[in-house]
Amino acid sequence: MTLLKLPSAKAPTRPAARTRARRGRADRRPRVLIAVTALFFLLLYLPIAVVALFSFNSKKSLTVFGGFSLRWYRTFAHDDVLIASLGTSLRISLVAMAGSVLLGVALALGLVRCRTRLGSLAGLIMLVPLITPEIVTGVASMLLFKGLGVALSTGTVMLAEITFSISYVTVILRSRVAALNPEVEEAAMDLGATRWQAVRLVTLPALLPAVLASAVLIFALVFDDFVLAYFTTGVDPQPLSVRIYSAIRFGVQPTINAVGTLMLAGSICLIALALFIPRLFGRRGGLDILSGE
Amino acid sequence: MDATPAVRLEGVSKQFADSYAVHHLDLDIEAGHFFSLLGPSGCGKTTSLRMIGGFSDPTEGSVLLAGEDVTALPPNKRNVNTVFQSYALFDHLSITDNVAFGLKRKGVAKAEIRRRVGEMLELVQLDGLADRKPRTLSGGQRQRVALARALVNRPAVLLLDEPLAALDLKLRRQMQVELKQIQREVGITFVFVTHDQDEALTMSDRIAVMNKGRIEQCGTPEDIYEHPATRFVASFMGTSNLMTGTYRGGEVALDQGPALAVGPRSDIADGSAVSVSVRPEKIWLSDFEPGMSKLRGVLRDTVYSGPTTTYLIELAPGVTLSVLEQNTARARMEDRWSGGESVEFGWRPEHCLVLA
Repeated sequence: MTLLKLPSAKAPTRPAARTRARRGRADRRPRVLIAVTALFFLLLYLPIAVVALFSFNSKKSLTVFGGFSLRWYRTFAHDDVLIASLGTSLRISLVAMAGSVLLGVALALGLVRCRTRLGSLAGLIMLVPLITPEIVTGVASMLLFKGLGVALSTGTVMLAEITFSISYVTVILRSRVAALNPEVEEAAMDLGATRWQAVRLVTLPALLPAVLASAVLIFALVFDDFVLAYFTTGVDPQPLSVRIYSAIRFGVQPTINAVGTLMLAGSICLIALALFIPRLFGRRGGLDILSGE
Repeated sequence: MDATPAVRLEGVSKQFADSYAVHHLDLDIEAGHFFSLLGPSGCGKTTSLRMIGGFSDPTEGSVLLAGEDVTALPPNKRNVNTVFQSYALFDHLSITDNVAFGLKRKGVAKAEIRRRVGEMLELVQLDGLADRKPRTLSGGQRQRVALARALVNRPAVLLLDEPLAALDLKLRRQMQVELKQIQREVGITFVFVTHDQDEALTMSDRIAVMNKGRIEQCGTPEDIYEHPATRFVASFMGTSNLMTGTYRGGEVALDQGPALAVGPRSDIADGSAVSVSVRPEKIWLSDFEPGMSKLRGVLRDTVYSGPTTTYLIELAPGVTLSVLEQNTARARMEDRWSGGESVEFGWRPEHCLVLA
């Protein structure tokens, strides 16, 4: 997975003179650094750029660009199976996001507040899913469902994804919970709030930026997860990633390019949203998706 | 005098593992008083406050508020409010909403909330900042918000946990005066925790000096300063020139140095080891009166500090006394002695305190 460190959401308006001064300084830097940076971005984004470009190809070829057209987007729009898979993936992502955020936040609160030996042990065990190879988790989940006699379906994917995602939410939230001043919750109770009201009215609002950031991260992780989905899904409807994999086995259709480009656009929108969240709370600076800070 | 104290602690203890943070505390706090719990860090003063507030359960004893046993009640069911050391403001709420928090929980009508919050912000001089967020305020302003947020609920008792500790000295002095004025204005019982003896002396109606989970002495600021009951109180409250010696027939023979006349004490047996204390400002360097105890010592150092000068006088090897003198025109430093000179000093016998 990628560790996203997003740049500052603040876009200061800079006078023209200062822009020129900056360009002047940049010119004096070694050209080789600029070249290395360019190469880095080229390698990083070339495959994606190719996919985006060929999604607008008028021909069926994956190597020759025949001119701009929306043909493959139209094909995708009429492909009921792919559309159903997209819907399934969105449903899985939303449910996994809600479920893992709910459980992960509760676990983070519990782990920080419960300072017993058992509590620290639970804190360690919680980290295991992060380092377990996903394929092991996938196979294990499948075997568990089979063993319990549960038929594989969209529901089993949701359960597996929630299990897998809780750790991420908890890791992000735990440092935020630990940084909270315990006197603030006490102050709420001092002012007449019950324990639950204190959590709801004071603690959760203080955690909201981190909660939203982890929700966006989990949505993105689950949406493009393949391994876990592959092992725990039923036959119909399959999640989008599994469907694309199946489709490629019978030869790559350019429709896949269109789907990929749409997913890319969706991801960009999500990242923009993640950048917008801290602004919503009047915070300056960037948002580190992993720490929620 | 109202017979029912606003706060009463009956044999209250708080035990952590095998040590006592608070040990069998008995304490009455009279309604309308500005009461200070004073002591060094770790003496149990904050734990005591937290037990009154309901944030910490005593392992023994009872907490009574206005005669009612509240030991088992959670904080939200007690008619007290707290100003926390960290202020503990709600950062996601505006100043108005912070102050209105308690009234909203109680279900007070909206118009009434608006009126009372407005009044309270005026009292603490924050009326221009009602819509700001706590993060945008200075330390002193945040302190006022915390105070307003607690006071607006009109609690029977307001608990303050070192509320001025985070402020710089000048602001602190100003807030001491203001806090005392506000307390007089609203007439609410204040229980104030501090480790700063000056703060306790200037603000309090009564002070309880705590040490190692116990109350060493409880009394008015004057009582505590002028008549410390124990060695700890004498040394904690300002400079006390503690000297050790043996009591015998109205005199204390110092371990190092001469015998000091202290007057007969029926409560102290001959031959017991005692401490003697004379406050620096009670020692005279000139214009002696008849009946004073007079001694000689060697001037070791002179510390000039604006309105006053402190002379360090060695009475005997290892026994150095601090003597504080007003810098009046007749006592200019350069007119006086230089280091190493033998000087005469004295005190009224009643200012020489014997501490068992």
